[in-house]
Amino acid sequence: MEQEQLILWIALVAYVGAGCVAIFAQVMKRRPERSVLALLILGLLLHTLALALRWERLGHGPFVTMYEILSSNIWSLALIYTLASLWIRQIRPAAALVMPVLFLMMGWMMMTNPGGGLLPSTYNTVWLYIHIGFGKIFFGSVLVALGLAGVILSRALAGSTRFARMPDNVSLEELAYRFLMLGLIFDTLMLMAGAIWARDAWGRYWSWAPLESWSLMTWIFLALAIHLRLTLKPRHTVSALLVVGVFALGFLTFFGIPFITQAPHKGMV
Amino acid sequence: MATIEQQRVGSNGAPVWQLLVWLGSLKFTLVALLLLLAVVVRALTLADGFTWWVAPPLGVLALNLLAAILVNPLFRRQLPLLLFHLSLLALIVLVGVGRMIYLKGWAEVSEGAAFDGQLVKYEAGPWHSWALDRVRFVNERFTINYAPGPRRTTTLNRVRLFDEAGGSRVQVIGDDRPLIMRGYRFYTTFNKGYAPVFQWRPDAASSPVTGDVRLPPFPGEALRQHTSWNLPGLAEPVWVQLEFDEAILAEERASVFRPPARHHLILRSGERRFEMKPGDQVRLGEAGLLSYQGLRTWMGYNVAYDWTQPWLVAAVLLAVCSLAWHMWRKYRQRSWLSSADNRG
Repeated sequence: MEQEQLILWIALVAYVGAGCVAIFAQVMKRRPERSVLALLILGLLLHTLALALRWERLGHGPFVTMYEILSSNIWSLALIYTLASLWIRQIRPAAALVMPVLFLMMGWMMMTNPGGGLLPSTYNTVWLYIHIGFGKIFFGSVLVALGLAGVILSRALAGSTRFARMPDNVSLEELAYRFLMLGLIFDTLMLMAGAIWARDAWGRYWSWAPLESWSLMTWIFLALAIHLRLTLKPRHTVSALLVVGVFALGFLTFFGIPFITQAPHKGMV
Repeated sequence: MATIEQQRVGSNGAPVWQLLVWLGSLKFTLVALLLLLAVVVRALTLADGFTWWVAPPLGVLALNLLAAILVNPLFRRQLPLLLFHLSLLALIVLVGVGRMIYLKGWAEVSEGAAFDGQLVKYEAGPWHSWALDRVRFVNERFTINYAPGPRRTTTLNRVRLFDEAGGSRVQVIGDDRPLIMRGYRFYTTFNKGYAPVFQWRPDAASSPVTGDVRLPPFPGEALRQHTSWNLPGLAEPVWVQLEFDEAILAEERASVFRPPARHHLILRSGERRFEMKPGDQVRLGEAGLLSYQGLRTWMGYNVAYDWTQPWLVAAVLLAVCSLAWHMWRKYRQRSWLSSADNRG
């Protein structure tokens, strides 16, 4: 366990290093994108190893305790952002805004109990993995959109010279909403896989449990944001705020509801 | 959700057509989505009976989708978009049909006993075609394993299923493996407990009747292992309590739910009090004879019926695939970079 914790710590230091370099570069108007990506990839490799060691030790995936949920989501969010950065070079400077979100989750993870939990028998299904996989792609897509929306809002607040090397707001908004669309697709798939799992586990596919209601609220708000942009064509800042709203609602659903619900499924993804 | 494209509608100025155009517009979609969002927010503060609240916004969305499909020329040009909207419409219709034909219930079956088609409690749609009396199975036995804590782990329930021709077969269900018969799905639950078995003979001339009395769930209500019931021919209800000293589920080690090795019952009828062990008999009323035959366990089952569920999954998959197809075609044709960025 000590070895696993040590590897995880080094991975987190690499993530923090990536985020700090990205923020420093924005302040000093430097271009360290390759260093940021290298640190992110290093962090991801080590984090993958730490998660694999834990999986091997406990005999189940990282989705039972809050510590595991946060750790696996930090991993998946970092992975999706890194893949998006490798694919679309222009978005790399947005790491300065994306990484602080991961810092928040890392800090939270440090305060939770790293001990193992017991895997409930209803979690012993392939639908759990499908449900979680879709959920992670959904939230990762929304995180990338959040980073782009953050750039638009930074420019609105601190002047258009911020993130000067990134495309203009028209392009960023278009790309952010393409990622939101990807998020909508995977959010839908996540809900569907969750419904199938719920039927197998508890005999019903929907029961208006708090987590289910919050998930549906997130889905509706996501669909609403996409429709609102197409229909009313709001200003870039309003569109960006809608993206922030979707992320905030998704974050609350993923990580907030487990604290308040007594339902069988407490959002442990 | 209506189209995600700019809408261009025909120039027909007939009032009905104009109404359809308005109903199928993206702005109307926004109204419907806002209405649905408001209802779901309301769901957080309501408990049972909420489902019908969703009907109006879903009806509005269905109207919006139908009108959009009818009046929007885009759907005739773009197959994936048409498929997406048709599958969403099918989804809403299926959800509606599901609410009309569903059954959600609760059954308790003692070990060694047959399911008698009766539910302890249930809710059902008005079009549900009751066929529970044709579901025949016997709860032969079950094992529930506990990890230290105690924390429940696996449930294995051996049931014997009987078909119409008189044949039978054994199946092991539990956790996420339900028993499925005639479209009904029976799921084992964490609710289970003990059931003392009695034989009752109201008088010397009557035939004895054997039955069990299900006590409250264990260990959920471990400190309330008592209940009362009415015996035929007795004016007053009989009260019974199960007593035992041993810890069935251990805190420090793995354990299995089972009947206690040693136990006795406290029985009260009117002012009279008895202690009973398996094999004991007591006289109740004028000539009644109650004998205690032993302790069984009982299992609580969630019972569900809704044939629309696989079709719902199919509709969602079709919606997602057609949306992905549409977006892929659309995004491939147009770069996300604005003309200014492209020039740069």
